[in-house]
Amino acid sequence: MKNKLTTALILTAAIVGAGVGLTGVQAEEKKTVAYLAPSLDISYWQWVGYGVKKKAEELGMDYVEYTSENSPAKQMDNARTAVTKGVDAIVIGPVSSTSTPPLLAYLKSQNIPIAFAGIGPQPGQTDYTSSVTANNYETGKAQGSFVCKLAKDRGGSKVGMLSLPQDRENAQKYLKGAKEAFATDGCELAQMLETRGLTVNEAVTQANDMLTAHPDIKAIYGMYDEAGTGAAKILETRGLTGKVGIAVADGSPTTIGLLKANAIQGIFFQEAVGQGLDGTQQVFNALTDAPVTKDLALVMPLVTADKVDSPEAKAVVARVFPPSN
Amino acid sequence: MTHTTTQGTQAAGQTPCAIRHRESIIGTYRTEVAIAVAIALLALAVGSQVPQALSWGNFANVTQAGAPLIIMSLGVLLVVITGGIDLSVGSVFSLTGMVTAQAMAYGYGGVAASMFGLGVGLVFGSINGFLVTIAGLAPFVVTLITFAVAGSLAFIVTNGRSMPIPDPDFWLLNSGSLIPGLPNYILFCLVLLVAIEIFLKKMVAGRWFYAVGSSAAAAYLLGIPVKRTKFFAYVASSLLASFSGLLTISYILNAESTAGSSLMLQAIAAVVIGGASLLGGTGTAVGAVLGALMITVIQNGVNLIGINSFWQGSVTGLAILIAVVIDRFSKSRRGAG
Repeated sequence: MKNKLTTALILTAAIVGAGVGLTGVQAEEKKTVAYLAPSLDISYWQWVGYGVKKKAEELGMDYVEYTSENSPAKQMDNARTAVTKGVDAIVIGPVSSTSTPPLLAYLKSQNIPIAFAGIGPQPGQTDYTSSVTANNYETGKAQGSFVCKLAKDRGGSKVGMLSLPQDRENAQKYLKGAKEAFATDGCELAQMLETRGLTVNEAVTQANDMLTAHPDIKAIYGMYDEAGTGAAKILETRGLTGKVGIAVADGSPTTIGLLKANAIQGIFFQEAVGQGLDGTQQVFNALTDAPVTKDLALVMPLVTADKVDSPEAKAVVARVFPPSN
Repeated sequence: MTHTTTQGTQAAGQTPCAIRHRESIIGTYRTEVAIAVAIALLALAVGSQVPQALSWGNFANVTQAGAPLIIMSLGVLLVVITGGIDLSVGSVFSLTGMVTAQAMAYGYGGVAASMFGLGVGLVFGSINGFLVTIAGLAPFVVTLITFAVAGSLAFIVTNGRSMPIPDPDFWLLNSGSLIPGLPNYILFCLVLLVAIEIFLKKMVAGRWFYAVGSSAAAAYLLGIPVKRTKFFAYVASSLLASFSGLLTISYILNAESTAGSSLMLQAIAAVVIGGASLLGGTGTAVGAVLGALMITVIQNGVNLIGINSFWQGSVTGLAILIAVVIDRFSKSRRGAG
């Protein structure tokens, strides 16, 4: 009896021990991806984070999040902290392209794969796994053509632009593409105003001032989402809704609402969630020795008011912001 | 120059009493008159480049865009006169918008939601006032803390998302007309300007603000309720910041967690341009309003002319410098006289 009891105890201990060991192995195998956001006060970076988290869940990875508060130093600290805590891969929305070289050098030394989302690395850098960004130049060109058409449909050729700060590489690419389209399609950029705060309030003031200085503007090119909201507000105030066209980049629930109300004529959607999804997939591929795509320049699809409820548009929107929005 | 004016008015047949009264007003508002002239010159300079700058429509643009800053500046002025500083107004402004929008999203009407918004101002103003007066902490430190907390809460309330204003009639708060022909945003500015100016200049409690700002110790010895005066200043400052937040979301029908981030420095700048000293004891509501208008006219001019908006900060800084130099020069002349 005593022997049987001893045997049963040993067997139980063995089974429990094996179980604990197995769990330990599984835990060891579960990878962690860290998302380094430049700041989380802009919805866009929250939505990228949602994409990273969602894909991480799909792939059986743990997810952690760090905020750089727009500081390159904090960004570097966050990367070091993440590595110290044992993350296996990083998806980053960098503070700026120029802030990334030391970070990339450090992560290379630690053998940590990194994918960029939204903003790419500094030109010339190669020590990264993947860069998933919007094709700003081509989008700028397409949006420029669309805005020019809006102006011509309204009997004019002058357009105004509410721009992102032109010290940003993506803003420069948007502008380059847009200017080429204006030249080709016969439109004149009457005025461009750059944002400082990226707020609707600022865009309202700028759009108002732009239309005061150039009353013959027939279409407005919004380079960021709040620009579209602000411009639409001012057109409504001035009784110009529909008489001056608006096309905006990025997209949000607010601008989709304005699109449905015909206050905005077109949105070039930047796939924030999609960039998070794709970036995470790429670092996971790197960890599992699957093929990796180094540079993914996602097109920014145009959705117009008449197609906003189509299945294609809904599929696009699903890659822009989370369903809770 | 004043002498010549006196002769001129005497010639027009006015009584010496009327002349003295006019001279007294000009003497009291010397700095404000200089700012008004500067604003007019600035507007003319912009108008020479962009004629539409001098249109009635642009006047409406400037006043509507400047109304929230004007109201916020009036609140900050009260604190500055008492020798304090309120760094939390921008964050309170943002949080008010987010709380009001969220309350509306929960089904509250515009009026009830606005009460929640104003409650933000009341709470943060009371915290500021309590910590400065009862706990005896430095105003800079206290309002830096509440600036950070309110700014953080503005993100937490809606998880950082901007919120559209669902009440279709809420725009009436800003752009409606309680008095036919006079938009509310102008009405509110005028009422607050007159009320605060009369309070500060004509009422005993208003004079306490200057006394406390000039020397809190001397004011205490004179029996002035120093702590109560300071407490009231912080509550009023936060409440006016909240009200300007309400006015803004009513205008753009959208609440953003970063909406007020640049306003705090602008409000302090407006007060300084308007002739108030950060050391306390001086300043007028008229000056604060003109200071806020000057900043708005600068922003408007920069946009109209098409100068890169990054220059706005430099131009505003230059305006502050000129205002401070003029004020100092004017005071030294008066002192010498």
